[in-house]
Amino acid sequence: MKLLKLAIKNITGSGFRSMAIFLCVMGIAGFLLSTTLIIRGSQYSLTSAIERLGADIIVVPQGAEDKVESALLMGKPTNVWMPQENLAKIAAIPGVQVVSPQIYLGSMYGASCCAVSEMFMVAFDPKTDFTITPWLIKNLGRDLAKGESIGGTYVFVPEGDTGIKLYGYYLTLDGNLEATGTGIDQTMFLTIDTAEEMAKSSITTALEPLIIPQDSISTIMVKVAPGVDVHQVAIQILSDTTGMYPIESPNLFGAFRNQMNGLLWGFFALSIVIWIIAAMMMAVNFSMAANERKREMAVLRAVGASPGFIFRLVLTEAGILAVTGAIIGIAIASTGFFLFRNAIAASLKMPFLFPSFSSFAGLFGAGVGLALVTVALAALIPAIRISKQELAIAMRE
Amino acid sequence: MNRFLGITLIVLALGLGVAPHYTDCLSQGSVLTLANGKTQPMKCHWTAQAEIAAAIPVAGLGVVLATKRRKANMMNLGVLGIALGIVPIVLATNLIGTCATATHICNTTMKPIILTMGGLISAASLGVVINGWRNRKLLE
Repeated sequence: MKLLKLAIKNITGSGFRSMAIFLCVMGIAGFLLSTTLIIRGSQYSLTSAIERLGADIIVVPQGAEDKVESALLMGKPTNVWMPQENLAKIAAIPGVQVVSPQIYLGSMYGASCCAVSEMFMVAFDPKTDFTITPWLIKNLGRDLAKGESIGGTYVFVPEGDTGIKLYGYYLTLDGNLEATGTGIDQTMFLTIDTAEEMAKSSITTALEPLIIPQDSISTIMVKVAPGVDVHQVAIQILSDTTGMYPIESPNLFGAFRNQMNGLLWGFFALSIVIWIIAAMMMAVNFSMAANERKREMAVLRAVGASPGFIFRLVLTEAGILAVTGAIIGIAIASTGFFLFRNAIAASLKMPFLFPSFSSFAGLFGAGVGLALVTVALAALIPAIRISKQELAIAMRE
Repeated sequence: MNRFLGITLIVLALGLGVAPHYTDCLSQGSVLTLANGKTQPMKCHWTAQAEIAAAIPVAGLGVVLATKRRKANMMNLGVLGIALGIVPIVLATNLIGTCATATHICNTTMKPIILTMGGLISAASLGVVINGWRNRKLLE
């Protein structure tokens, strides 16, 4: 306790020097957390989106891979079509357990109904679907009936309305999916039956009719049998069929990931450089402090403090500054990041999802630990030097 | 210290009054089109207008803190400042609010700015309270 009290007194006594180290630690801890949040948040978002999609392989029309990935990632509607008969061809591939078609549609541009000016709509077959249906069973306890829909986290019913009007057809919003940080958050999911009824009624009720080509689907979601190699099935789909391209789930958003990696590696490298510079600056600061405090430490030695006590005192001061600076820096950075997360994601043009509480707590602990180790290392040599100094020489200086 | 916090409050009040007008939907050209063809700003614009009203007393408080020499009533002014910092937050979240669309600039940028400014105003005022309490202890 004496050590702690004395350390706190020394910190408050040397205001400018302590503030400099405190601000340095606060800044570096906040910056490191921010870059880590961007990297982890982006990865978490993509992982959540892939888990949400739930398929092992997504089969898309040949040449439409980028369009489909962009639609899923950014929520921008796209029109891609392939013959419905492709479903049977994929189902016949050995190792394929379940296949389910999806139809990609979009609302009219500038429709007042929706969360965005052009909402992406995905129509699925409830009899074979394995992506949305598990969520429906878990959260609603039933499938979607005709005229019903569920939406991503940003889809909402306009104020004053009881439903969402699309192409002159009213849909009820029966639930919202968990956030993924991708375009899925502003996507509406409905059954193919509902989509077809909407298309039929839109001829008379909408400004523009909704066109769904006869016997056509947009993509095929594939679930591979347990124990079967997904990659082998994808290769077989590619070799045994024409006009289609299989995208394995782990490779989904591959083009985007490649672009993102460059940016993320840049962030990581910058963080390392800044961390090293900050550690060196703190080491210089502690070294200067050790020189200035020779007499002060000599007085402590003269009244009975051991060299070990002096050593522990300097490290305790460093530790207090590190822990408080890191906690405050991380708290400020994470609060600011949480408040501005959507603006940051929009400006970086990458998906982002704030990590779960447990993940964030881990980052918090790691940040404080790293700050403590860094400052302790910076203060180590000055602490050793000042604790080993000759009493008489120090008093004379 | 009080002078510094007073100037901080003046700067925050300026930010609170000005920043929302550059980050609401109207500043991006988004308006509501009524059935009769007329256009109307969205509700985030009215929140931005209301923040001007919330910022004025904060600026006044900042001027008083920066110029007043007597330290006797600083704690009370600090408590007032804490309450004034909550007002912009409540305006942007409950009383008027922002657009329903989560991806609009009023939700991604304007609202976080207002929440940050409100929080900083309350935090600065808390500093005034703490400073006033310490001065009172010294006087005693």
